[in-house]
This record gives sequence, C-alpha cells and structure tokens, in this order.
Amino acid sequence: MRAVREGDLTRMGVLFERHHRPLFDFLYRMTGDRGAAEDLVQDVFVRMLRYRATYRDDGRFETWMFRIARNVRADHYRKHGAAVYVPDDDMDWASSEPGPGHLLERAREMARLNRALQSLREDRRELIVMVRYQGMSHEQVGAVLGVDAGTVKVRFHRALKELRDAFSRVPEGE
Amino acid sequence: MQCDDLGPEMLEYLAGTLPDDRLAEIRAHLAQCQACRDDVDATAELWNELGAAPAPRPESSRMRARFDAALQGYIDGQAESRVVSFAAARRPALRWQPWLQFAGAAALVVIGVGLGRFVTVGPPAQSNSEIALLREELRDTRQMVTLSLLQQQSASERLKGVNTSSQLEQPSTEVVAALLDTLKRDPNVNVRLASVDALRRFSGRDAVRKGVVEALPQQESPLVQIAMVDFILEAAGPDAKGVLQRLAEDMMLNQAVRARAERGLKQVGL
Repeated sequence: MRAVREGDLTRMGVLFERHHRPLFDFLYRMTGDRGAAEDLVQDVFVRMLRYRATYRDDGRFETWMFRIARNVRADHYRKHGAAVYVPDDDMDWASSEPGPGHLLERAREMARLNRALQSLREDRRELIVMVRYQGMSHEQVGAVLGVDAGTVKVRFHRALKELRDAFSRVPEGE
Repeated sequence: MQCDDLGPEMLEYLAGTLPDDRLAEIRAHLAQCQACRDDVDATAELWNELGAAPAPRPESSRMRARFDAALQGYIDGQAESRVVSFAAARRPALRWQPWLQFAGAAALVVIGVGLGRFVTVGPPAQSNSEIALLREELRDTRQMVTLSLLQQQSASERLKGVNTSSQLEQPSTEVVAALLDTLKRDPNVNVRLASVDALRRFSGRDAVRKGVVEALPQQESPLVQIAMVDFILEAAGPDAKGVLQRLAEDMMLNQAVRARAERGLKQVGL
C-alpha cells in the first residue's frame, strides 16, 4: 500500500488479488447478498485508491481496509436500507460436508444458523464475523472499531450469547 | 470467581490461550458449576457450527476484470487531467498548429487498426494450447501462493492461505500435507480451526484421516479438538467408534471434548 500511496497505482492489482476474498466474505456475511457484496468490494478498492493519502505506516493495512469497508457498507445501507436476508439460490449449504447421510440435516442447520446470524443487530453480527470468519484478535477488532480490546471482549461475549438465543428461537425444519 | 466472570473469557478458555493461574481458577469454578459447564459446551458447539457455515466464492476473475477497468480509468483520468492542465498553460502555441492534432489522430487510428489485426490474426490451435498452458501456470501459481501464505508470520495471512486452498480444484499432495502441518503446529486457534474445515474436502484420503486422528491428542485447544472430533465422525462414520471411545474415556481431555465424543458414540450407535 505504501507503493500505491507514493504513486505506483498499478500495485493496486496486487492488493486486490490478496484481499478481495476476505473482503467479499466479510461483506457477504454482513449483507447476505452476493451481488451487493461484489459491488461493495469494488467500492472499497476504489475508495482505497482515492483516499490512499490517508494510509499511515503505523497501523496494519487490514485495519485501514476494514474501516473503509465499514464505511462503504454503511453508505450502502443508507442508500438501499438495511439488509433483508434472502439466501442465495445457488448457495450450496452442504458443499463442505462429505457424508451423504448428514447432508440434508446439516444443510438445514446451517441455514438456521445463518438466519439467526442475520437476525442479530448489525454491530453484533459484525463482531462475530470479524472474530470468527476473519480470524481477527480482540485487539485488531478494537483498532477497527476504535475501542479497546477489553470492550471488544465484553461486547463479543454479548453478541455470541444473543446468537445462541436467536439460534434456539429459529424453528427447526425450516 | 462468579459465573458472570466466565463469559468474556470463555472463548480464550476454549482456545487454550489463558494464563495458567486464570485457567486453574476457571477449571475450579467449572468443576462445581453445572450451569457454566453447560454454557461452555453450548458455546463450543456454536463456535464450531459457525465455522462450518460456508459463504459463496466470489467470481474473482470477473471482479478483477471490473476492478482493472476501473483502475485503468482512474489512471487515464489522472493522466488526462495532467495533460489538460499542461495544455491549458500552452494553449496559445498549440492553437496555431491544427495539423499536429490531425496527424496525431490519424496516427492513433493506424496504430489501433494494426493492433486489432495483430491480436485477432493467428492459428486457433496455437491459441488453445497457449490457454491450456496459461491455465496450468495459473494453477501452479495458486498452489505456490497457498503454500507461501501458510508460511507467513501474520495469522491473518495464514488464514488466507488456508482459505485459498479451497480455491484449488485439485490441490497437490504438498498443499494437503501443508494443511495437516498447519493443523498440528499453527499457534493460532482460528487458523487451526480453518485447516480442519479445509481438510474436510480430503477426508476420503486415508492419510488425511490418519493425520487428523494422530494430531488430536497434541491439540491444546478444546475448540479445535471438538472440530476434529466432528471431522473424524463425519469422515469415518461407524469406523470412528474406537477413536471416539478412547477420547470419551480420556480423563486428560477437556470435559467439553469428552462430551462431544460421547455424543458422537451415540450418533454412530453405541
């Protein structure tokens, strides 16, 4: 990113190649919409390009990137309203499960869990997505959100508890 | 220690990352509090379930093409604005030389036509073999990127490496061995958990099943152990009875892991 900031814009391609997948994963799990997530990934990289001068050497690149991603997503919600989750038709919920006997049951459980996750308040869902799916530590999440690690720890525990409650409320067999 | 104190530290407890003195306090509390034990079990189960929830893969090539076009547009726009400002400064001189502008436009047309002919003309058989070669090179590059990411210092980069492995249609034995090694040795719990998920694709291979079974007792994190118990159960089905039985009876293991193994035994009919 330093090279991009200094004017070598062609290096953005390398950053895109390296980071577009985790960004897509984050934005998909936040919006529940594949098309929107792909568009938002583009917006994040274009904003990185435009605001490259704001990148500072003293922080992690991912922290800066996720701050931009949060802003892009917030703008998207302002324009289009909060996400109403509709599972993608082409989403293969069972693709990671090898045993045919468990496929249907597992696919239903995954769909229930995803519904519970999408029912959480956005800030709660965001914490779970950053820690569980992006593998970020409490310190890293704190740097993105602008709060200390202890606060993240407490909020995260609350989010996980709410998810458990929401999961238990989603009816089985849906 | 009170029940409320456990909550914010539960994940670190499950990940096995708490300092020894705190770990001892929590263990002592859990030994006498059934409600907290249930809480720990439920959290561990939810954590692993979350890990199994897939997201679709992005259409990387289409997205890259879109981004490249946007990037080129941005670069061109910047160059144009520089030319415009330069032209504004020099405008009086250029205004007296229209022949120069005409000659430039004509030259661009000739170059464009020439390039078009150059790109489109060529034997198709050669193009096909070149495409096949490019695909092969791309696959090799992706494997190299995966292996390289798995060696990085940063846990986020290694996590990316594990996730990149799922983009490979036919990963080499080297990549699968690197994933097993990550599961055994990576210091980060999330990276190890992701490697269990990534290895699910290869659970049909004997070496992978054996590797996971062998790695289980070495794990310090109950979260990873539970994910591995699930893996063994799914991969081996009724053949997992022996392993599950040993785990259920191993008093050195975390109580949540033993409970998961016991449930697994019930699932396979013991």
